[in-house]
Amino acid sequence: MRLLPLVLLLTTWQLASSSGLLPKSVLPPFADVASILGKLLASGEIFPHTAASLARAGAGFLIAVVGGVALGLLMARVRAVQRAIEPILLLIYPVPKTALIPLFMIWLGIGDFSKVTVIALACLLPVVVATFNGARSVDDMLLWSARARGTSERRLLWRVVLPAALPQIAAGVRTAIAIAIIVLVSSEFISAETGLGYLIFSYGGVGADDAMLAVVIYLAVLGYLLDRFYLAGLRRLMSWHAFAH
Amino acid sequence: MHSLTRLIPIALVLGAWELVTRAGWVNPFVFPPVSEIVIRWIGVFADGSIYAPLWDTLWRALAGLAAAIAVGVPLGLLMGRVRWAEWFFEPLFSFGFPLPKIALIPLYVHWFGLFSLSKVMLIFTDCLFPVVLFTYHGARGLSPVYLWSAQSRGTGRVRMLWRVVLPLSLASIYDGIQVAVVVAVLVAVVSEMVSGGGGLGQLMIRSYRFGDVRTAFATLLTISLIGFALYKAAEWLRGRLLFWHVAESS
Repeated sequence: MRLLPLVLLLTTWQLASSSGLLPKSVLPPFADVASILGKLLASGEIFPHTAASLARAGAGFLIAVVGGVALGLLMARVRAVQRAIEPILLLIYPVPKTALIPLFMIWLGIGDFSKVTVIALACLLPVVVATFNGARSVDDMLLWSARARGTSERRLLWRVVLPAALPQIAAGVRTAIAIAIIVLVSSEFISAETGLGYLIFSYGGVGADDAMLAVVIYLAVLGYLLDRFYLAGLRRLMSWHAFAH
Repeated sequence: MHSLTRLIPIALVLGAWELVTRAGWVNPFVFPPVSEIVIRWIGVFADGSIYAPLWDTLWRALAGLAAAIAVGVPLGLLMGRVRWAEWFFEPLFSFGFPLPKIALIPLYVHWFGLFSLSKVMLIFTDCLFPVVLFTYHGARGLSPVYLWSAQSRGTGRVRMLWRVVLPLSLASIYDGIQVAVVVAVLVAVVSEMVSGGGGLGQLMIRSYRFGDVRTAFATLLTISLIGFALYKAAEWLRGRLLFWHVAESS
């Protein structure tokens, strides 16, 4: 039912093209775009580019989640770490991370290394901030009762603070997924020889609008599915948590 | 005193940076000392070379943002109060919100050309999503008591939208604008990096091509400053305009 407006929009697009109301040079018919997407999938041409993009985004994203959760937890529980890190985070918070791409290209070259680094940096902030806020607001009762049973501080961090902060961490991680895709596409537009961003850019450059739109739609669906899978996985993981009920 | 101690970690990082680069452990061409970056930053303002690209990026971001507010607020209000508008637009905007709109750069260049128009249109498109969604959620979540009391005095439908729903949704609309401000600067810079046409983004790429790290850093600082200043301006405006609002006093 919620898909109906989208179907209506696509149908209008197709009708406007096939009736000649919308010139092919402005927007190719949706049927052409769909058939090219079918060919790209059938020939398997799109999969190496998908793999290259997913590897870049995935590597940066994983570094950010592991590093961000660890840093956020430490900041919330160790005063000295918070004092040292928080001002630096505040300083780099307003920097648009995609604007860092050219600088990292100078430092680390135009290959995957610079792309992964910028993606990791861009995804790190929402994860750190969410983890920090989540871990700081853990109910003191939980901490007291665990301490009263002789739980060590380190165990407390992993077995009490981390699970209790999970809902907020999950929200930060979801933001990071969206950011990873945006930075990925930007960096592949600027310099790449593989990847979905490269594919969109090179089809656009030779005027193959139907193929370009096919990859844009493929990327949109991929991003949507990643988000859905994440939410579904989260629901299973968090079924024990108070907020899931 | 408290704010001074907060500066210590930043001073330590910058001091270490200066020392390491001055000691010659890294190539100063690739990683220049902080002091030289600051001098270059002052330099681009002193010799005036930063103003033209700064102005390009700033007006594109503001024009796209203004267009997104002009279209997005009425649309969001309509979605919040009118059934069919909600039915049609809500799924489209919810689905589109997390998608990377910058993937449309090549299409927009094809439609609107290489220069400002394609960039302003892309900024407009990207900013439209947060503005519409925040306005919609604000307008939908209003307490019906306000609406009933206005209705009982015979307020018409259109007047209701402008005189009752809009003012009460303003806090939420401003949240959307705060998000959109950040998006506007980001999209302006990325589209300039990808398709040129002047602006700070293109200056960034040109500095990269010439291997001019100092100018690249000075440009990055300027971009961050614009983003920060616009965000703070929106926050200040919010405080000035919404002092009477229920959501602000709580």
